[in-house]
Amino acid sequence: MVHASEKLTASDDVLARVQEVFRAELDDEDLVIAPDTSQNNLKAWDSLAHIRLVSGIENDFDIQFSLAEIEQITSVRQFVQLIGERSR
Amino acid sequence: MSEPPASTAAAAKLSPQALPWLPRPSGKMRDRIASLPSEPLQTLLSLQSLAQAAWGEAELRLLGRKIRSIVKSAPSGFAAEARQSGLAQVRLLVLSASTASHILDALIGTAIRFKFLLDVTIAEYEEPEPWLERHGRELKENPFDFVLVASDNRRLKLASPLGDEAAAEQTIDAAVARIARVAEVAGIATGRPVILQTLAGDPDAVRLNMDLGLPGSPRYLADEFNRRLVQQARQQSRLVLDVAGLASLVGDAAWSAGRYWYAAKYPFATAMIPLYTDNLMRIIAAQMGRSRRVLVLDLDNTMWGGIVGDDGIEGLALGNGSPLGEAHSALQRMALALKERGIILCVSSKNDEAIALEAFRNHPEMTLREDDIVAFRVNWDDKAANIKAISDAIDLGLDCFVFLDDNPAERKRVRDALPSVAVPELPEDPGDWLPVLQAAGYFEQAGFSKEDQLRAGFYKANALRAAQMDRIGDHNDYLLSLGMTLSIAPFDRAGRKRISQLISKSNQFNLTTRRYSEAEIAAMQSNADVFAIQARLEDIFGDNGMISAVICRQAGASWEIDTWIMSCRVLGRRVEEALLQYLVQQARLRGISEIIGRYIPTARNGLVRDHYAGLGFIQSGSQNGETIWQLAVSGYGEKNLPLKVDSQREWKLASSGRS
Repeated sequence: MVHASEKLTASDDVLARVQEVFRAELDDEDLVIAPDTSQNNLKAWDSLAHIRLVSGIENDFDIQFSLAEIEQITSVRQFVQLIGERSR
Repeated sequence: MSEPPASTAAAAKLSPQALPWLPRPSGKMRDRIASLPSEPLQTLLSLQSLAQAAWGEAELRLLGRKIRSIVKSAPSGFAAEARQSGLAQVRLLVLSASTASHILDALIGTAIRFKFLLDVTIAEYEEPEPWLERHGRELKENPFDFVLVASDNRRLKLASPLGDEAAAEQTIDAAVARIARVAEVAGIATGRPVILQTLAGDPDAVRLNMDLGLPGSPRYLADEFNRRLVQQARQQSRLVLDVAGLASLVGDAAWSAGRYWYAAKYPFATAMIPLYTDNLMRIIAAQMGRSRRVLVLDLDNTMWGGIVGDDGIEGLALGNGSPLGEAHSALQRMALALKERGIILCVSSKNDEAIALEAFRNHPEMTLREDDIVAFRVNWDDKAANIKAISDAIDLGLDCFVFLDDNPAERKRVRDALPSVAVPELPEDPGDWLPVLQAAGYFEQAGFSKEDQLRAGFYKANALRAAQMDRIGDHNDYLLSLGMTLSIAPFDRAGRKRISQLISKSNQFNLTTRRYSEAEIAAMQSNADVFAIQARLEDIFGDNGMISAVICRQAGASWEIDTWIMSCRVLGRRVEEALLQYLVQQARLRGISEIIGRYIPTARNGLVRDHYAGLGFIQSGSQNGETIWQLAVSGYGEKNLPLKVDSQREWKLASSGRS
């Protein structure tokens, strides 16, 4: 759990943490993700996995996505971008 | 393995979903998992101890996933090895109308807290009946230990016109009948206990203050449904996971999945998963006879406010007139309520025993009396040693124990020394303790019987005997002080049930392990060649009930002891010597010159291997580990035994009269 006071420095750090969430939620310890990783090119990212990823990222970064955002997010890039906006 | 110590700092006021009775976790699950031993069983045991902390949902999932991967890659025969180390395998089938797969790993992670290796199968999103039908054969071949029917208020969609009581009743009847049908199908398909769920209140539904009394309102329907469901569950011996109770503990709004219902049909908020899974495991543990049965209380600043040795009895905070005193009184009332449910209350305290007892006897505001406490260990010894001593005295394993102490250092010490004892964390203020203890649910019970209420009495008597032995020191003096009376009688109709129970259940003190049906036992009564006796033992602490039976078969001028069984409750009381003395007396009256004993070894009866040698028999033969023993009746010398023998009832004697 990260406290709100902790500043997120670079989007690389964010990406690394998002990757940890992806690994945990998709049960794949060797998974490597990039901003371009999306529901289209990552097979394990199905609709049920999607909500686990959303929930995992919400918990890890202590933020909340809106229902509309949950629907719109399809790529790692969008996750990283929204995390950046929420954490500022 | 060296672990970072779990934090024992007094918990701040935590919400129930934070499992406030458990120690706060230290470190991150990911790091803790990374530094585990490589041998699978050792890893699982480390994880079992790791699971005793209040991990959140995400970390329980990591834990569960780790356990799954260990079990998956473990060598064959691993299950048996794990069982020997106390980890029982439990197979659970979850039939859920809404999403459930997201709790799978958290269930497994929670289960190991209870020493279960959980194997979960989840059927979600579909009607349970077709699922059960499709999987009928698998269910028969590899049955589940438990089936959870996870209903949900949003799925069940209870609805009926407002203000129409008859229509509401019809709606509820139909819904309950539907769950009952699923439970029945599941019960038949698996032959195992079925767990039903009550419905949480729906914070999204219209809810006015009057609604509990308004037929057809969502609140009315859910409430009536729950009442009817648990009634039916009780009648049909189903178990109940009271989700409505959990939701009311944290608040319906906090319980609700909210956005996650819309997004993924989660039945409740993910933050509630640890509370939900812990409760489900409690029910399973209770059904498997693994719930806690003993509450050990500290005295100073726990049972009462203040230190009795320093403050004196009149200086204690207890009862009316002091807010702190009222909080301690409330704790005592809670303990008394547990006693009424069959929980055994004990005391372990660093104190002067006389002073502590005086407080029990003479403080006017004590709710608990000396008589409510089954065992006292009040001295200056280490508390862990005292709890161990209580466990020995009342003959209940440490995994039945809960230890309540205001002092975080004492809690930690007991937790470290006796990891199987449950030691709840407590908020700093005694006024905040009770909800934490209630939420912990240590004393979960699968059912309620009259026997539960009587249980404390039996353990109390055993504890008193142990205390007497401690006080007296010399074993024979102790036995004399018990004032024992052994009542011996021929087999009779009244004793038949108990004799048959002893014969079918005794494994340890059982010389031949021959089992007889009730009908065979009845036939022995009228068989002139059989001499069969039953014995009860009473002492100053109470009646131990029927504790022994001996069956002799006559052949010429000798008796062969066909069966000799005794309850282990009365080991070391010289009952067997008294019974032999009685047999010899009866043999003399009947012209029997020789008594023959036989020991047939089993995996369980090593206890009595030297039984006949100890009684003065001479070994006359042996084969395949079986030994045969002889006693010449004329050579037996009467003994002075520390118990009185009472054999009032007449024997139908073939030869002579009674002595």
